[in-house]
Amino acid sequence: MRRTGADGIWIRVAAWTLAALVLLPVLVVVWRAAGEVGRAWEDVVENRLWGYVWHTMLLLVSVVALALAVGVPTAWLVSVYDFPGRRWMSWMLLLPMAMPGFVAAGAYVDVLEGLIPFYVWVRMNWGIDAFLKIQEIAPWVFAVAVLGTTLFPYVFLSCLAVFSRQAAGALEAARLLGAGGLRVFFTVAAPIARPALVAGGSLVAMEAMNDYGVVSAFGLTPLTPGIFRAWGEGEPVVAMRLAMVLLVMLGLGLVFERWQRGRRRFAGDAAEGLIGRQRLPRWLGLGALGFCLLPLALGFLLPGWRLAEWAWASRDSAEWAAHGRAAWHSFSLAVGAVLLVMASAFLLVAGQRALGSRSMTVAQKIGLAGYGFPSALVAVGVGAVVVWVSRNVPGAGGLALSASVSGLMIAYWVRFLAVGIQPVSAGFEKLPGSFREAARTLGEKPFGALWRVDLPLVWPAMIAGATLCFIDVFKELTLTLVLRPFDFETLATRAYRLTDEGRLAEAALPGLGLVMLSLAGLIPLTRWMRLSEK
Amino acid sequence: MIAGFMVASTGAEVLHVYSHRHYEVDKQVNALFQEKTGIEVKVVNAEADQLIERLKSEGADSPADVLVTVDAGRMQRAVEQGLLQPVKSEILEIATPGALRDVEGYWYPFTIRARGIVVSKDRVKDGEIKNYADLAKPEWRGRVLARSSTSGYNQSLLASIIAVDGEKAAEEWAKAVAKNLARPPQGGDRDQIKAVAAGLADAAITNSYYLGLLMNSPDVTERIAAQSVRMVFPNQSGLGTHANVSAAGITKHAKNVDAGRKYLEFLVSPEVQKIYSNGSFEHPISMDLSLGEQIGKWGSFKVDETGFGKLGELSAEATRLFDRAGWK
Repeated sequence: MRRTGADGIWIRVAAWTLAALVLLPVLVVVWRAAGEVGRAWEDVVENRLWGYVWHTMLLLVSVVALALAVGVPTAWLVSVYDFPGRRWMSWMLLLPMAMPGFVAAGAYVDVLEGLIPFYVWVRMNWGIDAFLKIQEIAPWVFAVAVLGTTLFPYVFLSCLAVFSRQAAGALEAARLLGAGGLRVFFTVAAPIARPALVAGGSLVAMEAMNDYGVVSAFGLTPLTPGIFRAWGEGEPVVAMRLAMVLLVMLGLGLVFERWQRGRRRFAGDAAEGLIGRQRLPRWLGLGALGFCLLPLALGFLLPGWRLAEWAWASRDSAEWAAHGRAAWHSFSLAVGAVLLVMASAFLLVAGQRALGSRSMTVAQKIGLAGYGFPSALVAVGVGAVVVWVSRNVPGAGGLALSASVSGLMIAYWVRFLAVGIQPVSAGFEKLPGSFREAARTLGEKPFGALWRVDLPLVWPAMIAGATLCFIDVFKELTLTLVLRPFDFETLATRAYRLTDEGRLAEAALPGLGLVMLSLAGLIPLTRWMRLSEK
Repeated sequence: MIAGFMVASTGAEVLHVYSHRHYEVDKQVNALFQEKTGIEVKVVNAEADQLIERLKSEGADSPADVLVTVDAGRMQRAVEQGLLQPVKSEILEIATPGALRDVEGYWYPFTIRARGIVVSKDRVKDGEIKNYADLAKPEWRGRVLARSSTSGYNQSLLASIIAVDGEKAAEEWAKAVAKNLARPPQGGDRDQIKAVAAGLADAAITNSYYLGLLMNSPDVTERIAAQSVRMVFPNQSGLGTHANVSAAGITKHAKNVDAGRKYLEFLVSPEVQKIYSNGSFEHPISMDLSLGEQIGKWGSFKVDETGFGKLGELSAEATRLFDRAGWK
């Protein structure tokens, strides 16, 4: 029984306004990129464009490869074998998620400097060409290692679910037929895990594509910093054209994935029970533990330890007032963005459920798509609107502060709306429709039922979404750097700036603050994992 | 919440400064200004381009009275965009060299920042590096360090070379130096000096005051590193060493022009010049070397004044040449 009254029209208008707002940055960029630029663009095409594209591809491919090389085997070891420390590893391997890449980079940049004696040794023993080559490669090794070891948990997490539950039956069968560990892995587990690999790998690729802090710390120049540079040099149209290039690369990536998948079909995600874990012999078991510990150490323990040490050493000279102000800014922005995101997510999901119309489903899909837009593109798209408003709306010049704060909120909202929609949507999925129907029969209006029956029931899902979204916004760097108001710092931009200025010890404290907060966000996740193991 | 971001203003007389300078020594100078005049200095720090954009978008509503940057070219741009107003002041005219200030008095310099070359004491003989051109010689392959070409200091150096030698020669120089770099540009000037000290390369392009800062660093390893290098002021038999200036001007819509002028005059006073010479190791605008111990040790040198007026208009060209030369 579906009925739409006047309320329904309003919900539809509201949902489509939100969807249009999500698309706004892309539309602005597409429209403005077609504008006149003159020589600046020719110069970029002639001297920098190919480098940007090539470096972007090289970076994404290497980071994803490393994340897979680490994430898949660790998930495999933790789910099908038993070895000393396995239980610990099964949740500790998530910890690198709480280490923002640009914070970890701050703990590694001075290592690059510390390697100078090694480079000098290379020049003395292997000659100048090897010396130059190795210096060219070193920043890449570091940037890829930092991004790979902080992002691999996305792969680990998605594979863990497959190996320990979905694929359990097939794996047991293969074992019973006498296939050995590696053979089972390559012939049975890997193909079944393919969708999980793709899902985890795409998240890693997106995070790497949106990264600004790590690549700029090590001096690499893929597209994202290139877009920033053009924007900062007062060439918005060049920045938008570069953002378009990034969007096209993203599109090609999606097409490639579709084509690669071809006509293959993959089994549904019905759980088939748990796999029985095989006990590894002593030395192999220790080897497995070592294999898990290595990425954990590089992506979390080591940088975390260095940051803690520096923060402790600089506690007396720390600019607590400035850190505190930055933390307050981060907090208020995150609270504002979360309220916007959760209200919109509820409207989109609940509206879709109440009205059940196709157009509402499309609006919700558009809302989810914002997560896939490159940060740099959202930043310059929203940035252009903010500039336009402050120049053309009378009196807005003096209000540029609030114009940028609103711009920043909208940008966060576009990027992280999906983070709110997903849990809310999952929360609604679990609700039996009968509650609503009962309420309706008892005389509630459709939206009264939504408000008084559905909302309290999906409240836990709303809280979960709000927490994830809060943390995402709190530690966000790329959008914030471009759109933050003048003379306004968040904890993330502060940690980044101090690192950039070589004040590593001072950067440690705000960096550590971001890590602590992100850790708090992991607690519900690990609890959920523990439950699903039982 | 937005109101919470705004800072409540106090009753005392206040001078609002938009500044690209954010060193410890500036805080000291501003505190001294307040002590002497009772005028509180409120500083907003950002990159020069951001400050200029900000002044533009604020227009007549801007709270800023004074703009401070570390690049004459940026000041010229601010003048072209109508963001500053001319100041008539005998004190400023006497204290600052005519070649290094704006002809119409829209802005005045207050420190000189020389772009020199730091070389290893052990591995580079006296006189082996005398000019910027020496860094382009093939025997220096893999021995030179410089920061990224996106740095304003490098852009202004290349602009000065374009102004004197022309575009073609400047591009060839940039190309040759880029080829001689020991590593792809990374880090700031300080990092280049430290890397020379550690033996990665033998020479680095850097502003002289960064060496001063290292020599007087609270960190002992930095002080030791600074001991193993020496400062070269290039082009002394030619037009002189390239230098840029810290400069200040009063904004078009300043609410407190009088205090602004007082501030500009204060910046060039011997007392403040001495603070800069000994605190940030920049050269005083008078080039009076008796003002600071460290700059006294480096000795006198000739500053290139020929291309100075064109730094602003040539900086875009410089960026382009760096790109073409493959200097990241």
